[in-house]
Amino acid sequence: MNFFAIFKLTIPVLMGYIPLGMAFGLLLSKLLIPWYYALFMSIFIFAGSGQFLALTLFASQATILEIGIATFLLNLRHTFYGLSMISTFKDFSWKKHYLIFGLTDETFALLKTSEVPQINREKVYLIITALNQCYWIIGSVVGAMLGNILPFNYEGIEFSLTALFVVLSIELYKKSRLHKPFFVALIIGLFGMFLFPPQKMLILSLCVAAFVLIVFKRSMESGK
Amino acid sequence: MESSYLIGAIIVASIATYTTRIIPFLLFRTREPSPLVKYIELNMPLMIMVILVFYALKDVTWEIYPYGIAEIIGVIVAIALHVKFKNALLSIFVATLVYMFFIQKIF
Repeated sequence: MNFFAIFKLTIPVLMGYIPLGMAFGLLLSKLLIPWYYALFMSIFIFAGSGQFLALTLFASQATILEIGIATFLLNLRHTFYGLSMISTFKDFSWKKHYLIFGLTDETFALLKTSEVPQINREKVYLIITALNQCYWIIGSVVGAMLGNILPFNYEGIEFSLTALFVVLSIELYKKSRLHKPFFVALIIGLFGMFLFPPQKMLILSLCVAAFVLIVFKRSMESGK
Repeated sequence: MESSYLIGAIIVASIATYTTRIIPFLLFRTREPSPLVKYIELNMPLMIMVILVFYALKDVTWEIYPYGIAEIIGVIVAIALHVKFKNALLSIFVATLVYMFFIQKIF
């Protein structure tokens, strides 16, 4: 897989991360925090919603302990992503720590669906993760520096991430041996969107999904 | 805001985020994952991806005008194009353009 082919895989994330990163940077600058904190946060935290949450907590002068606990709870969903990556990362070198560090919603989605030959999988995964993080860093720094003077109307471009998840759901559905989990997830997602509080919607829905998947293992596997 | 506060908060948030991502790898570092874990590993990603679609739509106000019509159209365009042409980039790109057109020019 050459670099251009890998880059092409990440374009949807590019389209989502630049504007979202810019929105993050803009918000940070509105709190009168210097732009280089946007850089630090995007390098060392690299979690979209986690960084937005951190800004809200900064604004309300939350303690550092509160920030740690809230970030942990918000990002707990990533534990499920790691769980689906154990055997994939198993034989990778120490560099897998960067892959684990960079396992955002979108990176997870790309890694799980991209078809990469076994031999250079580690390298391709590292490039995908690094490209995604670059987009996020660039977006957040540009947003923090000049978000409020850019004339381009990019309102709505973050929908590319929604479309990315839609497309990858279809891809995974086609590849999956079992089809019942798909329909169960549709129902859980729909109910979760309306019934769960937005802040906790993802982690609650994922817990319900994992619960149903495990408890109803036998009926999930029967009759496809 | 004091820089010591910001730096401390960034370090803590960084560790908290990394911890959530590394937990499963630490749990199964030495022992072989059981058949149940393998079953979860195999089937959970599809469920995660579907739920992420709804998560991405969680801030839509369905009760009041424009009732999330632009989002629904965008999702339908993405599904239709992807089923027909199987080209991920095309589906995502066109769906996003259609969505941007609707929210900027119509609603």
